[in-house]
Amino acid sequence: MNDDLSQRHSAFRFHGSWLEFARIAFPNLLLSIVTLGIYRFWATTREREYLWSKTDFIDERLEWTGKGMELFVGFIMAFLLIGLPLIVIQLISQGLIFRGEAILAAAMTLMMFLLLFYLTGVAYFRALRYRLSRTYWRGIRGGSDDPGFQYGLAYMWKSVVGWLPIFLGVPWSMISLWNAMSFGPHRFSASAKWKPLMKRYLLFYLVPFLVFIGAVVFGISMAASGGTPDTLGSTGMAAGAIFAIVAVLSFYLFLPLAALAYYSKYFRLAVGGLRLHNLEFDFRARAPDWILFFLANMAIVICTLGIGYIFMPYRNWKFFVDHMEAYGEINIDDLTQSETVVAKHGEGLLDAFDVGAI
Amino acid sequence: MSAFFDAWHYDGKSAVRRKVEVQIIGAQFFLLETERRHGPFAFSDIEYVTHKDDADVYGLKAADGWRLMLSGPVPTDLNAMLPARRNYGGWVDKLGFGKAAVAFTLASAAAIAVVLLSPQWLAPLIPSSVDEKLGDALVGDFGGRFCSTPAGDAALKKLVASLDANPDDLQVEVAKIDMVNAVALPGGNVILFDGLVKQARSPDEVAGVLAHEIGHVREKHVMQALLRQMGLAVVLGGIDGNSGALVNNMLSMSYSRESEAEADAHSMKALGGANISPIGTASFFDRLSEMDGSANSSTSDNGIAGYMSSHPLSRSRKDAFEKSIVKGKNYKPALTPAEWTELKTMCTQDRNAKSGFGFDFN
Repeated sequence: MNDDLSQRHSAFRFHGSWLEFARIAFPNLLLSIVTLGIYRFWATTREREYLWSKTDFIDERLEWTGKGMELFVGFIMAFLLIGLPLIVIQLISQGLIFRGEAILAAAMTLMMFLLLFYLTGVAYFRALRYRLSRTYWRGIRGGSDDPGFQYGLAYMWKSVVGWLPIFLGVPWSMISLWNAMSFGPHRFSASAKWKPLMKRYLLFYLVPFLVFIGAVVFGISMAASGGTPDTLGSTGMAAGAIFAIVAVLSFYLFLPLAALAYYSKYFRLAVGGLRLHNLEFDFRARAPDWILFFLANMAIVICTLGIGYIFMPYRNWKFFVDHMEAYGEINIDDLTQSETVVAKHGEGLLDAFDVGAI
Repeated sequence: MSAFFDAWHYDGKSAVRRKVEVQIIGAQFFLLETERRHGPFAFSDIEYVTHKDDADVYGLKAADGWRLMLSGPVPTDLNAMLPARRNYGGWVDKLGFGKAAVAFTLASAAAIAVVLLSPQWLAPLIPSSVDEKLGDALVGDFGGRFCSTPAGDAALKKLVASLDANPDDLQVEVAKIDMVNAVALPGGNVILFDGLVKQARSPDEVAGVLAHEIGHVREKHVMQALLRQMGLAVVLGGIDGNSGALVNNMLSMSYSRESEAEADAHSMKALGGANISPIGTASFFDRLSEMDGSANSSTSDNGIAGYMSSHPLSRSRKDAFEKSIVKGKNYKPALTPAEWTELKTMCTQDRNAKSGFGFDFN
């Protein structure tokens, strides 16, 4: 029983409608408000149940089997294990500053920062693991047996190395966590190459300099043409004003554009480098698609005075599924149940750090 | 016994999709394929998983990935054996959406009310030893920033003794920090910042502010505020990020004003008992509100903002102090001119006291 994917249009298809999603999102919003936000764990679960169930992979819908209670327990655990100690440490370091032990207080703050940094890496890992272990397709789920503690260390040093000379370590560490994940009996392997990213990456970091150089060139040419804005009169003043506006605009316009261009390439390479047994993946969204996507998101949120924000999970998921591709073969008989452990708590850590991924 | 055709089944062991018939035998059932029979399974082990397209998906307890998918009209005898669908989640489905929303609203309001009101009752229950230890841990010697001269200490002691009946359980100090501010901390610690003392035009002004801070101590505001803040942090922890912090600030702010009024009342009473004119305190507030908004041009560059931010000023506060003046009463200055000079110059005289906060944040 083999499915040849190459003959199909796309292995992933999304059948949801935003009207149906609204019937989930609005009651969710109301319940979240009247429970002081506690319902949001169940709200997230309901939204995922809907989005997953409207997503076709080949010939069967995905299934989200996570529970709101799991997310809630994860949040409580993160609060007790991390939130409370942080509050205590903050109190102590405040006391230390009062007592004039500024260096000791600084050391404690640094330790706290390192710990949070480490836990952020662990949190990313656990969140992906949780999501895979709750995603079923044809009764088979994903998961990982790795607790993610080592990934936390790898995340730390790769991020630090990445920050110093080139920023590429961050995406590198982000994608490498897929290597510990599996679906059914098969392991994911991530082997994205990063060299093609360099140009986009440099573009992102060059934008501020390019704007600055532009300003310098403009200033020099003004001086060379024999006039300060004073002698040029009102036209010169106007030109200067227009230029200043353009410079500021271009900074706020080009920087996000360059970031999106970089991110789109990163995402394409990352997904393109991902393999699961005989399956290969592809992400077809290019920079213009991302830009349109983000502009539309912003327009929706702004035009609805913020209420449109509740549709963002829907928009994100639809964008993701619409552009996902898979090639290769799946042997249904070989695809047996995952033997990874299933954690009983959800994405508490990630939730506590507020670093939401797709 | 009944047979039912429109069902799909995954056994959870492999991804093979099986078309099955459901055969019900009492509280159990079998799944029949053309050549195989799966089961028996107990209906009591069946749980609702999700709704998928036009099918309801059921799972089996302790069988990872086991699925039974039913679509179309389900026979009533089968339907009666299956667990209820889940929509919003346990409690909301049991109560119904409307009732649950009302119940949650009431519970949330009650939780916030408890957190806002209970510190008033809880604060007095906290033993004073805990309060003192907390104060010691927090304040200590304030990093050597307390100013001390024999004459200045004596003047301060006299001032405190005239304003409070039990001056021994108060630790009042002047700190060498150039801010117009004063704080009450746990353990009866009251700290006057040197900036405030220097800026005051008479000892009566300092007496009013000091009595106000002592009021916070005597009315147990300090412990109340701590408990309230902690309670709100827990209750509003469910709301993510900014909205929670915003609500938290708003609620603790409104509490602040209430206790400020109480501390003011305490201050006026103490001033009256000590025969000190409240006019000095009134003019102090008046000057502060005039300086509000023009802090940049004022003489002390970092002075006013501190007191303003923690002590909301209003004309009514100044008026209250003015109204508390009893006409014809024979007020006397809080300190003699010599004592006042000693107190005002205490931090300048004490060269051992460290200044500032240990690091520059200006």
